[in-house]
Amino acid sequence: MVLNHDSTKPIYVQIAEWLETEILNDHISTDEKMYSQYQLAEMFNINPATAAKGLNMLVNNDILYKKRGLGMFVNPDAKGKILLKRKNENLKQMIRELVQEAEYLKVDHDELMEIVQQVRKERKDR
Amino acid sequence: MGIITCQNVSKSFKRTKALNGFNATFMENRLTGLIGRNGAGKTTLLKMIVGHGTPEYGRIQVFGENPFNNLKVSANTIFVDDEMVFPAEMKLHEIIKMAGLFYDNWDGELAERLMIYFGLNKGVFHDQLSKGKRSTFNMIFGLSARCPLTVFDEPTTGMDYSVRQDFYRALLKEYINHPRTIILSSHLLNELEGLLEDIILIKNGECLIHESMEDFKAFAVGLTGSKEHIEAHVREEDVFYRKNVGSTQSYVVVRDQFSQDAKADLKESGIQVTKVDAADLSMHLTSETKGGIDDVFKQS
Repeated sequence: MVLNHDSTKPIYVQIAEWLETEILNDHISTDEKMYSQYQLAEMFNINPATAAKGLNMLVNNDILYKKRGLGMFVNPDAKGKILLKRKNENLKQMIRELVQEAEYLKVDHDELMEIVQQVRKERKDR
Repeated sequence: MGIITCQNVSKSFKRTKALNGFNATFMENRLTGLIGRNGAGKTTLLKMIVGHGTPEYGRIQVFGENPFNNLKVSANTIFVDDEMVFPAEMKLHEIIKMAGLFYDNWDGELAERLMIYFGLNKGVFHDQLSKGKRSTFNMIFGLSARCPLTVFDEPTTGMDYSVRQDFYRALLKEYINHPRTIILSSHLLNELEGLLEDIILIKNGECLIHESMEDFKAFAVGLTGSKEHIEAHVREEDVFYRKNVGSTQSYVVVRDQFSQDAKADLKESGIQVTKVDAADLSMHLTSETKGGIDDVFKQS
C-alpha cells in the first residue's frame, strides 16, 4: 500500500485500515504478533508516533491486544469486528454518497437498484 | 520531558526584531519541524538553542542549563546548516576521523558508508565541495554524530530531489534506531510532513502554533462553493485564506470546527469540503493577508 498524504483521512487511520486489511486477508492471523510501531514507521516512511497512533486505534477497538513487553497481537474475533465496523461505517458512508449522487442525477430507486444488480451480475460473470 | 524550554525569548538585530516573545517547549526524543517564512526568526532561534548567542530578553534552557558557553550543551548538541565550518587543512576522511574525539556517540563507520553511497570523495577538502555535496556532507556529519540534541537548519539547501528523499529516509532510520531530539527547519514541509511528529509554526518571531503533525493537518479545511453559501457557514475570524473562483464561487480555508454532521450538511448544500495540505496551510497561516499575493494585484 502507498499512503495518500493528500487524503482527508489522517495517516494513522490509513495505517489502521491497512492493518485491518492485512488481518482480513489472513496475512496476520489470530494471536499472531502485529508489526511494531518501528516496523511500520520503516515500511511507510512515517514518524513512529504516527504508526503508534494507528496501532492504538486498533487496540481501542479490540482488534489488537497488548502483551506487556512483548507487543501487540491479533484478537481472536478481530475479523468479525473489522467486517462489522466496515459494514456499519465505510459501506454506509459510500451508500450515502451513492444515494446523494443518484438524487442529484435524478435516478430513482428502481433504476438505482437495477444498476446495483447489473454490476453484481457483471462481477459474478467475470 | 521538556529538553528545551524557551520562555519569552526576544532578540533584535539593529532595528529588526528577529524574535519577539517566543515561547515553546521541545519534548525529548521527538522529531519536530520548525516552519516559517523567510525572516520569521527560525535561524536566530536555533542558533540560540545551540548556544551560538544569547537572547536579549527571556530565557532558554537546554538539558536544564543555559546553553551559551556551556560545555555540556555543546558536547551533546550538533547544529547543521550550510555555513558549517570545518578546519580548512583537513580532508573529509580526516574530519570524520577527528569527529570521534568530540562526540561520544560518533559512528564513523556510518559516516563512511553514507559518504560512499552519496558519492563523496573522502580525499577532498570541505570547501572544494559543490553546494549540494557540501549540504550532503554536513547532513552525514549531523546524523553520524548521534547527539542527543540534533538541529538541522535548512539541511537540504542545494540537494537534488533524490538526495533529499534519501536524506529523509536516512534520518528516519537513524531516529528509529537511535532516538534523539531532532529539530528540523525547512521550507519543504510537503516533503517531510510524514516524518515529523510535531510542528512549530513561527511567524514574526513568535510561536504561532505548536501541535502534533496530525492535529495540525486536521486544523483546517477547504471549502469550495457559492460565495453566499460559504459566507453563511463561516465566521470571519476563522477564515485563514480566501480566493475567488470565477465570479460566483469562492474557496476558503477555515478553522475546522465542523462536526461530521455539519460537514454532511455542507456537502448537501453543494459546498465541497477538502483537505488542506500541511504546506499550504502553513503558508496561509503565516501570510500577512487573507488573499495572499492576489491582494497585491487587486485593483480597487
